[in-house]
Amino acid sequence: MQLAVNVAVLAAIYALISCGYVLIYRVSRVLSLAHGELMMLGAYGLAVTASLFVGHPLIAIGSAALLSVLVGVLVYVLLMRQMTGESVLAAVLTTIALGILLRGGMVLAFGTQTQYPLQQLGWTNASLPVGPSARISAAGLLLILGTALVYGGLFAFLRMTRWGIRMRAAGQNPLLAAQRGIRLHGVYALAWGLATFSGGIAGMLLACDAGVEATLATIGLKAFPAALVGGLDSLAGALIGSLVIAFVEVALISYVDPLLSDVVPFFVLLAMLVVRPWGLFGTREELDRV
Amino acid sequence: MRKTLWAALVALAAIQAAPAVAQDAYTVGVSAAMTGPGAGIYAPVVEAMRIYIDHVNSRGGVNGKQVRLVVLDDGAEPSRAAANAKKLTQDNVLMLVNSSLSSTYAPMVAESKRANIPLYFAGSVCPKETYPPADPLQFCSSAFGANLDSQGALAFVKAQAKEPVRIGFEAMAIPISRAEIDYAETLSKTMGMTPVEKQISPPPAPDYTPYASKLKDANPNWVYSWAPWVAQVRTFEALRRLGWTGRYVTWAHLNAEEELARIKDSEFYVIGTNALFQDDLPIQAEIRALTHRAKLTYPTTYLTEGFIAGRVIESALKATAWPATPQKLLASMNNLKVDLQGLRGGPLEWTQDNHFRTRQHYRVWRWDSAKNAIVRVQDWQAIEVKRP
Repeated sequence: MQLAVNVAVLAAIYALISCGYVLIYRVSRVLSLAHGELMMLGAYGLAVTASLFVGHPLIAIGSAALLSVLVGVLVYVLLMRQMTGESVLAAVLTTIALGILLRGGMVLAFGTQTQYPLQQLGWTNASLPVGPSARISAAGLLLILGTALVYGGLFAFLRMTRWGIRMRAAGQNPLLAAQRGIRLHGVYALAWGLATFSGGIAGMLLACDAGVEATLATIGLKAFPAALVGGLDSLAGALIGSLVIAFVEVALISYVDPLLSDVVPFFVLLAMLVVRPWGLFGTREELDRV
Repeated sequence: MRKTLWAALVALAAIQAAPAVAQDAYTVGVSAAMTGPGAGIYAPVVEAMRIYIDHVNSRGGVNGKQVRLVVLDDGAEPSRAAANAKKLTQDNVLMLVNSSLSSTYAPMVAESKRANIPLYFAGSVCPKETYPPADPLQFCSSAFGANLDSQGALAFVKAQAKEPVRIGFEAMAIPISRAEIDYAETLSKTMGMTPVEKQISPPPAPDYTPYASKLKDANPNWVYSWAPWVAQVRTFEALRRLGWTGRYVTWAHLNAEEELARIKDSEFYVIGTNALFQDDLPIQAEIRALTHRAKLTYPTTYLTEGFIAGRVIESALKATAWPATPQKLLASMNNLKVDLQGLRGGPLEWTQDNHFRTRQHYRVWRWDSAKNAIVRVQDWQAIEVKRP
């Protein structure tokens, strides 16, 4: 039972992070390698708002989430929009540069000490029973619920709302979408906003579980195999990919050797790239070789 | 055009003049992880070292000369450490100082050997080459010492345990931590303990619960961890959330004092060699005052290691007559005794054969819920550092 709980929590972490990779790639064909740093920015954002709105945790969380959306939109408007017409590789390299800049900036702004936003919010990370033999932390449970809400919300948004349908159209055929009157820059900005929001939520929940420090961005990279295994342009794929990677990791820790848990997800990724490079649920013809 | 040319010439002259100024001071070159992974451990050491040296300079310097500390950031990357070491030796520093991850050691050791100048590890893990029989050029004052720390920690476990010890181990997947935990596992058997499980987590793990679950399933009554703080404390917290009720002993990193007060668990023990600020020693009052004056952003409790490094540099330079050369400095470092005024259990002593210290003293602390304060569980226990 504990194994299932551990898989669910780890899968939720990976799914919440990898949906940001998928959203941006699906809409604009850009692989954002600054996603880990944007996630970390969300976590630091919560640390800041928690200290600003002492005694009002919900306001602190809400404003940190809004801040994440705003940061994502600004990244697109101020940076990625300037890459319009450039090659995909140039855009990917721009996101790497953005990641380096953000990492350095966060060290300068927030220092190198671990910060604990949960304490500042006045909450504790309680241990909750799951069935007769397993336990889950409150932050772990929130991660699972948060992932379900974010994915549920995104599925509903993409299928049922006007902006969601526009976003799918822009992802499928930007030229045709533009000719039909869809404002591509608006759609792309929204995609960056939503991706940074979901990454930010992941960062905030991880920070509530274990604090936030400069190494948090690395965890963003760990979710990358999940996104690729599932298929970079499929949200459902990201969810399944996260489950596969999380299961492999936890099973290796439990039954084989904990040392393998760090490398085997990348072996799974390599195997997937050899056998089915577009991932479990990705679209075959949409792949670009970068 | 003419003005630009003049400006360029003046700038060039200024650049050329800089080393000449430096020759009138004791120059020490530092390559440190001021950014990147590990900056949280190393940057406070360097900042504290810097404010201590500034304090020394404000009192007139050493032997009437100012001490110039040149700090270059290596971001914990070996390639940048190599470039830094090269640049510093070209600037004719008297000594190289490393405050960074162990992956940066090899290029700095190579450069120190090439230039034949001492290499001092401050705040970074002491390499085996500083233990007796020591490498002629490598020195170390960092609190933690491989093998000795595990000897101290397991001796504490043995002294505390009233029941047979079933011990679990936690390391991080970095060579230094794994080697130490492997050593501790072997040592525990010779001390009559039963090692039941060893977990090695990657740096960093998104969730430490899977590792903690495996540890808990082995049912240890003690767990020992010697790793970066994140792995030590996250594993402990995950164990507690899984309902484990045993005792956990781990290394007291720079942030231990703050973290004990945050965690507030009376069975979470930290073992270390630096006094905590709860001692309120006169030297700690001085550290507080200097930190306050320098408007340092790090908590004062993080700064002991850097102050010790500063005192070591000051003492070594004091015994180096002017005009200083790396060889004169090396001679003074080979016969050095630094009074640490209670920051450790005894003075730091280097000899020709021992560039680590002749005695390592350990204390153990935990949180006392009844007193709502950190309490000392074991006072200074000395371990002699001898040739193996």
